Amino acid sequence: MATVSQPVSVLEALRRVRQEAATYRGIWSWIATVDHKRIGILYGVTAFIFLLAGGIEALLIRLQLATPNGDVVSPEVYNQLFTMHGTTMIFLVVMPMASAFFNLLVPLQIGARDVAFPRLNAFSYWTFLMGGLLLHASVLAGGAPNGGWFGYAPLTEFPYNPGHGIDFWAMGLQILGISSMASAFNFIVTILNMRAPGMSLFRMPVFTWMTLATAFLIILAMPAIAVALFQLEFDRLFGANFFNPVKGGTPLLWQHLFWIFGHPEVYILILPVMGIISEVLPTFSQKPLFGYPFVVFSGIAIAFMSFGVWAHHMYTTGLGPIANAAFGVSTILIAVPTGVKIFNWLATLWGGNISLRAPLLFAVGFIAMFVIGGLTGVTHSMVPSDYQQQDSYYVVAHFHQVLFGGAIFGIFAGIYYWFPKFTGRLLNEKLAQLHFWLMLVGFNLTFQPMMILGLMGMPRRIYTYPQGMGWDEWNMLATIGSFVIALSILVFMANVVVSLRRGEEAGADPWDGRTLEWSIPSPPPPYNFRRIPVVRARDDFWHRKYVEGPGGRPVPVVAGGAYEKHGHQEDEEHIHLPSPSYFPLICSLGLPIFALGFIFKDYALVAAGAVVILYGIYGWALEPATEG
Amino acid sequence: MGLDALRIDKKITFYLAIFLPILAVGLAGCGVDAPQNTFAPAGEVAEKQRTIFYMAMWPAVAILIGVWLVLVMALIRYRRRPGRPLPKQVHGNPVLEVAWTLAPLALLLGLAVPMVATVFDLGRNPKAEALRIRVIGHQWVWEFQYPTIMDEKGKPLTILGTPDRPPELHLPVGREIALEITSGDVIHSFWVPRLGGKMDAIPGRFNHMWLVINEPGVYPGQCAEFCGLLHADMRLIVVAHEEEDFQRWAQEMLARQSKGGG
Repeated sequence: MATVSQPVSVLEALRRVRQEAATYRGIWSWIATVDHKRIGILYGVTAFIFLLAGGIEALLIRLQLATPNGDVVSPEVYNQLFTMHGTTMIFLVVMPMASAFFNLLVPLQIGARDVAFPRLNAFSYWTFLMGGLLLHASVLAGGAPNGGWFGYAPLTEFPYNPGHGIDFWAMGLQILGISSMASAFNFIVTILNMRAPGMSLFRMPVFTWMTLATAFLIILAMPAIAVALFQLEFDRLFGANFFNPVKGGTPLLWQHLFWIFGHPEVYILILPVMGIISEVLPTFSQKPLFGYPFVVFSGIAIAFMSFGVWAHHMYTTGLGPIANAAFGVSTILIAVPTGVKIFNWLATLWGGNISLRAPLLFAVGFIAMFVIGGLTGVTHSMVPSDYQQQDSYYVVAHFHQVLFGGAIFGIFAGIYYWFPKFTGRLLNEKLAQLHFWLMLVGFNLTFQPMMILGLMGMPRRIYTYPQGMGWDEWNMLATIGSFVIALSILVFMANVVVSLRRGEEAGADPWDGRTLEWSIPSPPPPYNFRRIPVVRARDDFWHRKYVEGPGGRPVPVVAGGAYEKHGHQEDEEHIHLPSPSYFPLICSLGLPIFALGFIFKDYALVAAGAVVILYGIYGWALEPATEG
Repeated sequence: MGLDALRIDKKITFYLAIFLPILAVGLAGCGVDAPQNTFAPAGEVAEKQRTIFYMAMWPAVAILIGVWLVLVMALIRYRRRPGRPLPKQVHGNPVLEVAWTLAPLALLLGLAVPMVATVFDLGRNPKAEALRIRVIGHQWVWEFQYPTIMDEKGKPLTILGTPDRPPELHLPVGREIALEITSGDVIHSFWVPRLGGKMDAIPGRFNHMWLVINEPGVYPGQCAEFCGLLHADMRLIVVAHEEEDFQRWAQEMLARQSKGGG
């Protein structure tokens, strides 16, 4: 009988844990949460921790290259460092940072109480965490992956890379892909189906639009890398010959598949940030976004065109002049919609009433640095000039202008802008400004010298270089710059710690915001909107506060803008919210077990992983939708 | 007063940050003591590639300065000051927006014409009289073969580097060189920046590229595609001679190769 009473008490314990989860207090309430705001915070905090890891890797790389013949790390460790730096920053920092913003903002911006599939949303987060942890677990199993974030075959094939690092890399990315796909479907359904009454597509905030475009990109791009990774693992684990030329395979097949994913990926990283910029600039200029339809359509155009430019990563693989010319022209053309966005942002600032607070500074930093990234991109698209630049430090400089000068500056603009919404407190402005200037100076010190290094013939991914190449001073500058960036990140962290405790109270609408998220209290209650708003205009909340007077100048509404107040207890009790659930986490836990089984060819482990996943899905399917 | 000083200080930093990249690109042109400097071409291909780069770079620099000027002017002119009324709510200007869509389009399509022409020029088949060279990448050393220069046993003149001594690829100046590039293991990339942009060495296929060297000299290069542990050490040196010196060198090497037993 003891065997019977045991499960009962476990169930009893589980029930208590479930109850705690429902109270919105304590660790269990976070682990079982399906609230989009909490999932967003989990995404953001996790991505920030990975940012620190990737940043430390970058600092080690810069220390190694600070002087010629550096010996801070060995060649093997160096190769692991740049592989992990690239993989981490792309898949574990910028993508999940974007996910954090999608989660935090999309339901609030469209006037919804949560995403369409809250448990799937939790599953996306946990799966992202598992993928990231699996990738890093490689360090414990004989060494991190060392084939570069692009993992070119046949260098990543078994004969040239017999360790487990590449397997961890491939399986980790596969799991991260599952997370991204689940999240992308979720946000497409949410945006298309859960908008508040009156929120037509062309009244949606641009950030929500860019989320939608990004989600479609993810769905269309991820399968290509999934196929490539499956093929690689079949080659490595079972001796298939997809990429092995000795047995009739094709090394270039990997590159095509990888870049059919890889180029849209660049826009997966940057479109959400363009959305953030399109929110910050109007608010801090007190003017609507200039040419909303142009900004939206150029975003969609970029998303479409991004699938037709992949071979510009392969100009030097010998595709021949016809293919190179065609991809050269398509790549040149993608600069057009990108330029349109820049010009529209400038026109948004022009004639505004610009508040130079931290979110605006970072947004301006984004424009100023991203434009270098775009223009250097044009110099790459010019095929003959790229024959020189391909795989040189000029490329490293270029994409850091896009992904750091662009994406990271934009992400910080978003953090400073929305931090008060989700914590109720403003970040300290003085520290924020210090952070901005340190980062801007550090960024330029680090990456502009790399542009020169590349043009002076320094290839990427080299663990060292001899004296007498004329590269010494520029490398030293870049290393100094990287430590200035590190300092700026420390300032930011200090700011968060200080401001969470003693920061100025934000109130619902500290920036005179334009979109719906500013109409509800900070931090928002679990149910977001006590009453689902009825939307009458683009920038609906602004129009509740101001009417356009003569000459197009806004006049404050006499009633002073109706912020939503906390409702009465009776009101709140009638709001239907999804219940917390542990099954998404259980499901996610099975994935790395399953993957580890394949990595070590231990099929019992594969079976165990499969059982955990199936148990998670089964419990998930049979779980009642709401607590009874 | 202290606050004002701070503001000016910030402005200086801002301008510094802005003009650093321009300064940087300018300096790159002057860095002549860099043996792999792409701004110091020593061959026809590298010259053509630099021309195309400049064609894109100068408009890019102009646009960059333009965007930054507008940005800085907007921030200065329209900075929020106490007492200033809310700005006029401008939602857009379709004519202006179509203009700044079409103008870059025209500029870029204009750039595409010389670009495509050069792609076909550099991608053409080498001339019949070109000197054929076979380049084979190995982890982490280059091998060069001269298929038309053979010893009495019919074995082509072959130069193979060692891990600590990069191989020397001796070539004549003024004559077209036809490179046939492949790899014996993973993907590498053949790159001698002062002579021309790179071409990948891919196992299982031959890639083709032609070069012409203008003057005798020593031109270092190195593998440009990450190829594993010692990628950074996979270097090479091109030594360019006048034609007769090159012939003399080739005969000498051939004699040495035959004597070395083979």
